Amino acid sequence: MECRFKYKVPGGKLIETVVMHNGISIESVRITGDFFLYPEEKLEAIEKSLTGSRIGSTEEELCAVIAGVVSKEGIEMIGISPEAIARAIKSAVSK
Amino acid sequence: MKWRIVGLEAHDAYFNMAIDEVLLERVKDRLSPPTIRFYRWSPSAVSIGRFQSMEEEVNVERCRELGVDYVRRITGGGAVYHDGRGEITYSLIGPESEFPKGIRESYMEICKPIIEGLRLLGIDSEFAPINDIVANGKKISGNAQTRREGVLLQHGTILYSLDIQKMFSLLNVSKEKISDKMIKNVEERVTSVSAFGNFSLNRLYGALLESFMKNRECEFGMWSRDELELTEKLRIGIYGTRKWNFSR
Repeated sequence: MECRFKYKVPGGKLIETVVMHNGISIESVRITGDFFLYPEEKLEAIEKSLTGSRIGSTEEELCAVIAGVVSKEGIEMIGISPEAIARAIKSAVSK
Repeated sequence: MKWRIVGLEAHDAYFNMAIDEVLLERVKDRLSPPTIRFYRWSPSAVSIGRFQSMEEEVNVERCRELGVDYVRRITGGGAVYHDGRGEITYSLIGPESEFPKGIRESYMEICKPIIEGLRLLGIDSEFAPINDIVANGKKISGNAQTRREGVLLQHGTILYSLDIQKMFSLLNVSKEKISDKMIKNVEERVTSVSAFGNFSLNRLYGALLESFMKNRECEFGMWSRDELELTEKLRIGIYGTRKWNFSR
C-alpha cells in the first residue's frame, strides 16, 4: 500500500514522503522536497534506515531512527529536521 | 587567493550543471582555480532541486513542446524556471575555508555581492534566510549551495524579467490553481530587476561583475580543454540522462 503526505515545515522547506507498507511494517520510504541536506547522497541512508519500522511506530520512535543515521553519517539538514521527516512519515501511514 | 572570472555566456542546462560539478571536483584536486562564472540558459530551462521529483514538479510534455530543457541540479532547493532572457545566473566554486563555516552564514556572505550589485542599480535588497534575496519584500534572487571535501559550490539566479504565465505552464501546478488570483499572488511574492527601472541585462551583468570582483583578487579566464572535455562527458553521461533527471 502506498501512502503520501506533504507539508511545509514551519519556517523551513516543503517535504513529501511516499511510504510503501504491508499493513505491519514499512517496506520503503521516498523523501522529496525543496530542502537542503548535506552530504546529499546520504538521504538514501535515511530512507533505508526506515525500512522494517512498524507502521505503528510513534513519531518519537521514527525520529530516533532518523536522528541515529544523521548522527552516524554526519548529516546536516537545512529547512527540515529528523522531527519533520518523522512527522511526514507518521502522517502518511496514518492517513 | 586569486579567483578566475568567466564572463557571461549561454549554454544548455546540461552543460551548465555539468561544468559546475567538474569545477567542484577539479578545484578540490587543485586542477582548476577557484572560479566565479556568469551565465544564461539557452534554451530556457527548468531546473529542479536535488531531492525533488521531476514528474511531480515539471510539466515535461510542455517543456518538450516549447523546447525548454529540464534538469536536476546537484544542489537542493526548489524548481526554477530559467528564462533565457529573464535572468543572470552565477556559480561560485572555491575552498570552504574562504567562507564562514556555517552553511547559513556562508549563504549570507556569498549573497552580499548580489545585494551590492543591485544597490549599484539603485535597488535596495536584503538577504532573506534560508537562501533568498528580497527587494521590496519580494524574492529577486534564489540561491543553492553544496559542499564536497572542502570545496563549496553556490549557484543562484538574479531575476531580470518575469514571464509568470510561461513559468506556470512549465511547472506542475494544477490548472485550477493557474487562476488570475494565483498569478497575482506570485506577482506579490516575486519581482525582477526590470520592475525597478529600465535597466539592460548587460547593465545588471556589469553591476554583478563589479560587486563580485570587489575585494577579491580576480583574473578573467576561459575554460581549459580538460574542463570542457570532462564537462561534455558529464553533460552526456549524467545531466542529459533520464536516469539522473528522473531519479526521484
